[in-house]
Amino acid sequence: MLDIILAEILVAAIITFFVGRKLAAIIAMAVSILPLIALLDWASLYGFNIIHLGIEKSISIPIAGVSLNLAITPLGWFFALMIIPLFPAIMLFSYSFYKKNDGFYPFMLLALLSSIGIIMAKDMLTFFLFWEMMSWSSFLLVYRSRDKEAVMSYFIFSSLSAFLIFLGILIIYQQNASLLLSSINIESNAYGVVAIISLIAGFAIKSVLMPLHAWAPYVYSKSDEPFVAFLAGGLSKLGYYGMFLILFILAGAKVLETYFTNLSPNYILAVFGALSAFIATLIAFMQDDMRKLLAYSSIGQLGYIAIGFGIGTPLAVSGALFQAFNHAFFKAVLFLAAGAVAYRTGKWKISELGGVGYRMPFTFMATLFAIFTLAAIPITSGFAAKWLLYESAIDAKYIFVAPIMLIAGVGAFLYSFRILYGVFLGENRYPNIKEAPKSMVAAMFILVMPLLIFLIFPGYMLDMMHDALISGNIATLNHNAFVIETSLASYNTIAVIVALMIALIPAILIYKTRKHRVVDFMDNYLAGELPELYDNKISMHAASRFYKPIEEIIGPYFEPGTMSYYMAIYRGLKAISDAVRKIYTGKAGDYAIYVTLFLLIIMGWFIWM
Amino acid sequence: MDVSAIMIKSAVVIAYAFIGTFIGLLFLGVGRKIVARVHNRVGPPFYQGFIDVAKLLSKKTNISHGWIFDLALLFSISGILLAFAFLPVGGIKLLSTDGDAFLVLYLLAIPALGFALGAGASGNPNAGIGVMRALVMMLSYELPFVITMIALMIYYDTTSIARIVELQSVNGISSWAIFIPPFMLAAAVADMALQGMLMEQPFDIPVAPHEIASGPMVEFGGKYLGTLMLYKAISIVVETTLFVDFFLGGGVIMHGGIVANIANFIVWFVLIFIVFTLSLLINTAFPRFRIEQAFTFYWKYEAILATVALIWVYWMVI
Amino acid sequence: MRYEEWSGIARKASKRSLWMVHFCTGCGAIEMPPVMTSRYDMERFGIASMATPRQADVLLITGYLTVKTLKRVVQVYEQMQSPKYVIALGSCTMNGGMYWDSYNTIKRLDKYIPVDIYVAGCMPRPEGIMNAFLKLMKLIDEGKARGWERYKKYYERYKKNQEMAFNFVKKEEKEEEKNEGD
Repeated sequence: MLDIILAEILVAAIITFFVGRKLAAIIAMAVSILPLIALLDWASLYGFNIIHLGIEKSISIPIAGVSLNLAITPLGWFFALMIIPLFPAIMLFSYSFYKKNDGFYPFMLLALLSSIGIIMAKDMLTFFLFWEMMSWSSFLLVYRSRDKEAVMSYFIFSSLSAFLIFLGILIIYQQNASLLLSSINIESNAYGVVAIISLIAGFAIKSVLMPLHAWAPYVYSKSDEPFVAFLAGGLSKLGYYGMFLILFILAGAKVLETYFTNLSPNYILAVFGALSAFIATLIAFMQDDMRKLLAYSSIGQLGYIAIGFGIGTPLAVSGALFQAFNHAFFKAVLFLAAGAVAYRTGKWKISELGGVGYRMPFTFMATLFAIFTLAAIPITSGFAAKWLLYESAIDAKYIFVAPIMLIAGVGAFLYSFRILYGVFLGENRYPNIKEAPKSMVAAMFILVMPLLIFLIFPGYMLDMMHDALISGNIATLNHNAFVIETSLASYNTIAVIVALMIALIPAILIYKTRKHRVVDFMDNYLAGELPELYDNKISMHAASRFYKPIEEIIGPYFEPGTMSYYMAIYRGLKAISDAVRKIYTGKAGDYAIYVTLFLLIIMGWFIWM
Repeated sequence: MDVSAIMIKSAVVIAYAFIGTFIGLLFLGVGRKIVARVHNRVGPPFYQGFIDVAKLLSKKTNISHGWIFDLALLFSISGILLAFAFLPVGGIKLLSTDGDAFLVLYLLAIPALGFALGAGASGNPNAGIGVMRALVMMLSYELPFVITMIALMIYYDTTSIARIVELQSVNGISSWAIFIPPFMLAAAVADMALQGMLMEQPFDIPVAPHEIASGPMVEFGGKYLGTLMLYKAISIVVETTLFVDFFLGGGVIMHGGIVANIANFIVWFVLIFIVFTLSLLINTAFPRFRIEQAFTFYWKYEAILATVALIWVYWMVI
Repeated sequence: MRYEEWSGIARKASKRSLWMVHFCTGCGAIEMPPVMTSRYDMERFGIASMATPRQADVLLITGYLTVKTLKRVVQVYEQMQSPKYVIALGSCTMNGGMYWDSYNTIKRLDKYIPVDIYVAGCMPRPEGIMNAFLKLMKLIDEGKARGWERYKKYYERYKKNQEMAFNFVKKEEKEEEKNEGD
């Protein structure tokens, strides 16, 4: 079945290249629903508390002498569950987003094909081939933005990522003489450690971990939103899929621990994750471009997953996977909502937007719910994930990571409100726009659905990741559908929901028994000033440089930016290369001297031997 | 757990929440009285809070700015009641075994968020600025508060507030956290964080009435302002209780029996009153900090002191 | 929406919790600080000053009003939530006071918004202001402070008066422009 699906996606990718935009969108949508249906079929294998570790549906596709080995593993199934549902929704969204078919659908379908390939890969070669396919298809999608900075930074960082991953795979092959994931055993020596670190660094580039994130703000803010929704929601998860594979399934974490006896290398990953969450959050609320804000928020939220993998206890890894699942959906919704707002208003800058939510209530509702999940408001699934991570940090007594992580959680309120107020609320600046097209609204609400399910039943999520955790030699938590129990405390969603229902009664009573009337936006307290004297054109939006007081304090600390460090490295390399280049003087005499010197050195070496 | 059992439990807890509302409104009036006495004034009667809320809720006309504006009313009161339900009150655990300190910390964000949404939907620039200040203030005071909270959690090896209170009441008053040296420091830090949480001077810039026309509340009147006052009243109780639960053993001095319950409840009441009065006295003695001054105060001095306490505790535990 | 339907408790509560927004353009503003601070302390009676008309019950006009400020006063008054009351300080608000022959001040405030209590004097002393508040409380209790109902009932008439005042200035302005043009 898997090979048929892959073939169909490939054929559809070719077809969509040639047909018109509406037909292309419909074909793409139909084809991307196929793996989703297959996922449900595989659901009988994995998830919902049934342990089927022995069963693997595997196939091998021979291509040009090499066979691509694919299998459905528990981990792959879980990650497929968060990546594949994004595609139909994104295709549905782009149905009315794009005015012409200019290469979005074929490459997006290739991205889907390679995503499935990556998470189903049974050996490292297949993994790498699909990884490269993913890199190229996404590069071509980034290239559509025609923005030099975005394209170049994505190209350079993608190549670096591919190089690091290839290095890691080579070392592993050299050690094991096999690339099958099931037979790989990373040895605890310097080579093994280099392999693990380079693989993790390679994956960290795709999953935008802090020092390696520099490409993300450019790419996220310049590409089309439907694609960025996949980039932030799906592609970053593929990076974390790789990290999980290396750290837990191939037992990289244990290898590192045994190699560095005194150091705790996992702690370093957690610290990178925490700094990523913290710094990106602080940068996020200083942004004026909606897409850049969301990009930094993405970096921050993805940092939490790295924290979870770094801490590495069952609590932490469950929280990290939960967070990964949530992030895939809420960030996709937020980027799609940004796309919908831009589709109607044509503006990106928060200081130029305002009051969109009054005219686009459904877009606002989807955004609001996504933001609730992002900011981890209790009873949303976002809270359950963050809660697990906080608990794990306290449990492991990570006194550096825990406060930073918590304060980053508070910082998330700040940039959330920046979006809510700056874009959707405040002054009604666009009184004449319409709600986003139905297909866009539908796409956003489809992506909100999974978050709603795990709002009430966080336990189901833990059931679903159960097999994946076991395949990575991680114990699962004590839980049922509503209650998660840890050694430190417990979290009972049903208690929160019931208490909320009861607590809403007085609020609703007050709200219902006292009448109110809705007034016009301009009937507002302006210190007695009369808007009609100014043709109702008093500017009432406080959105430009919203967090100015705090920006002036913390802004200077982030002034140079990560990119400037990379530029410094670039300049250093260029200077060295320039110096090296100078030996090519172009004079025959000089080259003769070089040759003579070289021969002398070789002769000297032989004599010394 | 059985769903119906939880429902009954929750209903009981909400009954407690009304006691909380009562105490909060009482505190509002008494607080004004105390401030007035410091100013050498007579001050309003101690039941002024009840009168104000009754008046606001009995206003004949109310204005709204649409459904998002109404969220302020719905979220603020339900969120704060929910937070109250998850705190142990005078040794009575309520729902606090079903959640923990992180849950309470995030539940406290629900009313703030609803309030912020309502203020944003009113479209008033003063409201926007006020919410910005409130959020920055929140970011400021949360850092020292969170660090002291983590110190407590690491020391008692639990995140559940109920468990922290339990462990503090093992030997009566002498085992309260505040009598352990690092937590004396931590309590001092947390008390200043509490000052920001209660939005008392010097940290009341978010609602500065004479600069930004009471900030987020600028368009709220009638039932909306009435609910916000209820929210403010309950939040006083919730926030002081949080402090008492963390550092003063939740006011638990006795175990077992109905007499102990009543005694604990009274001690809890006295303690939150003392904590509240302390914050009021600081309030009357200080002028207002600008928002960046408040931020610097919390992230520089307070955070360093809190970190010292945390490292001290870590060193004790390891 | 009639006064009689209003329950006794609500009336008592309203009486003891008068929140005011003071429109301090006149010279009476200087009489307010002693009333608020420890000398007279009006917080004794639950009176507090509020920042915006949305939150307030009492509008305090502390002296003369020009036509320009009257526009703002009307806006503020209409933004207040009923039941709402108006207290006018000083003789300027009654008959123009020392500005009786000024071209751009209004003479009788009662023509434009319903005034519940006038406080005579130029300026009234703080005791007078305190007394006015106590009188207002008594009136509320007896159900006689019905200015806001009057405003609703005779809305057309009040609007007409306001328009006349505003248009008078407009006419003058136009004439001035004409004169300048000549």
